[in-house]
Amino acid sequence: MSDETGQNDAYVRKFTFRPFTGLRRGRVYRIWSISWQWWTHEWDRSRAIKILIGFQLFTLLITNIILLSFRGLIPGIATEQLLEDTLISLVRGIVSFRTEIHADTNGSGDEFGNGGFTIGGSSFFILILCVLVGSGLIADDITNKTNEIYYAKLEKYEYIAGKFGAYFIFGNVIITLPYVLEFFLLFIGLGNMDFVTVFPVLIHVILFTEIVNLTFSAIILALSSLTGRRLYAGLTAFMLLFLANMIVPTLAFNTGQEIGLPLLTDVLTLLLICSYIIDGDTIISLTDFEGIEHTLNLTNGVGIEGWMILGSLGLVIMFGVLIVVFQVNRRHSS
Amino acid sequence: MSFDITITTDQLSKYYGSIRGVENISIKVPAGGVGFLGPNGAGKTTLIRTLLGIIRPTKGTAHVLGYDIKSDINQIRDRIGYIPEFNTAFIPDMTAMKFIAFCGRMNGLSGAESKQRASDSLYYVGLGEERYRKLGTFSLGMKQKVKLASALVHDPEIIIADEPTNGLDPNGRIQMLDLIRNLQTDQNKHVILSSHLLRDVEQTTDYAIVFSEGEILAQGRIKDLTSGRSTSISVKVKNNEEQFINSLKNDGLEVWVEGGYIEVTKSVNIEKVIFRTAYEAGAEIRYFGSRSRTLEDVFVDLFKDKEGIQ
Repeated sequence: MSDETGQNDAYVRKFTFRPFTGLRRGRVYRIWSISWQWWTHEWDRSRAIKILIGFQLFTLLITNIILLSFRGLIPGIATEQLLEDTLISLVRGIVSFRTEIHADTNGSGDEFGNGGFTIGGSSFFILILCVLVGSGLIADDITNKTNEIYYAKLEKYEYIAGKFGAYFIFGNVIITLPYVLEFFLLFIGLGNMDFVTVFPVLIHVILFTEIVNLTFSAIILALSSLTGRRLYAGLTAFMLLFLANMIVPTLAFNTGQEIGLPLLTDVLTLLLICSYIIDGDTIISLTDFEGIEHTLNLTNGVGIEGWMILGSLGLVIMFGVLIVVFQVNRRHSS
Repeated sequence: MSFDITITTDQLSKYYGSIRGVENISIKVPAGGVGFLGPNGAGKTTLIRTLLGIIRPTKGTAHVLGYDIKSDINQIRDRIGYIPEFNTAFIPDMTAMKFIAFCGRMNGLSGAESKQRASDSLYYVGLGEERYRKLGTFSLGMKQKVKLASALVHDPEIIIADEPTNGLDPNGRIQMLDLIRNLQTDQNKHVILSSHLLRDVEQTTDYAIVFSEGEILAQGRIKDLTSGRSTSISVKVKNNEEQFINSLKNDGLEVWVEGGYIEVTKSVNIEKVIFRTAYEAGAEIRYFGSRSRTLEDVFVDLFKDKEGIQ
């Protein structure tokens, strides 16, 4: 900007517009701008995010203190196994509300504690925060009518990618990062471990949390674009995830000894079982409200199979993304 | 690069299902200031959104600054600044500065450049002092200016303003039109002003394209559109005005009063008839002349003709 001072007045400055002569950045940079802008804005304005991260880190710290203080009371378990069982239990805690699951075979997270170190209460707040923050991603643009400004500058697929990217930054900071941090804290704290041996645990943590992020983002963004209102999107997403997790397992367990197909509509339980599939478990037990155990064999060709779990999650993600694409391309552009 | 023609369209059509948005639009938009005129629902916004790639045309082609809207739409977007019609609420708890810088980054400006240019743009539209205020606290007029700043931040060659004075008070309207006019005269931008307000277009641009029901009714320089022969004579008289009007009507002439003037439809020897009638009615003629046409007259005539054809 240049400022020209008038001949006879020192105060009046006439601002003129400086021509842009630089190079414009590429498309990926522009997508990233949407994602990063949204995240920094949410970070600046939302105290809840900061409190939750603080709470997460505090819980992890307490977990570490308890584990490191009382490790001597848990004999016969190798350090690598201790890290694995603690950490896998913790990440499963993100989606454990109603359904209790453990593997019949001794896989990760079962030999020790049976989920005793899940961060419990915080998983509810994680879900609430994911829903509250994420539901405004597209809905706020519709409410505030800013989407027309975005569409005049970007391709619609870039806008969609930017919004998913925004949720991914949020999900990674809220969900993935604390558990990756916890892995390294335990790795250093417990000591005397071969990194190569425990590396699969880190992969499990990252893979599982990213599946959770992807599933949550697909559902929340789909509802955000469908309803066009943050409040409606938030309520619907909460009902779809949390209330389904309260109701559906009961229906599924009532169908007899074999767990019924309705379980495939409970996204949180699907995610939980997915963690066991990542771990290589084929037979798992689900405990209902009355404490009765139901066995689920994921490879016996009867009832719910492993591929159905992964397929259902895939469908949820696919439909979520398709709804967003359809809404942005059709409804919001006509 | 300078262009004589900034936008060309060839048989451009857009249908929403069976509803016609625009149909067979073939125009050449000259450089400088151009007004898209027409009532609400005439197809102005549909054409603009098609040119920006927000919606896809059903058929036809269009080029903006030589770039094809189908294959080079991102090149076009970087060269157009768009002020949308809607009353945008923006992101209420974001400062104007942050929002405009964000708009700059979406147009490919680096972080530092976008901040610098956001500041420039906000100063240019007169919001320099308010640039760190949250958008939610802005008045409607200020929000319109923010929209203009968001359209300017990446230094586009063409500014498309869709109903930029909607909802503004008279003072705000004058300021907005001044800013848009200055963009042409001082900043050498090509400006397309889409409006149903004839005065806005007349005051700001020198070329107009008139739309109706998705079609082009007329286009040309405003001077040429309004310079057609006037169809009436304007007369102002003192004394016996009523008797004078009645006498003219009795002679079979079409007479009406508008803006304090007596308008008489032109016919053979009309001047002679008016002077004779005035003399007989005892009226003193104080003004006699052809009425100069405004864009409003052109607009009304065009729509009368269209209704007549239908």
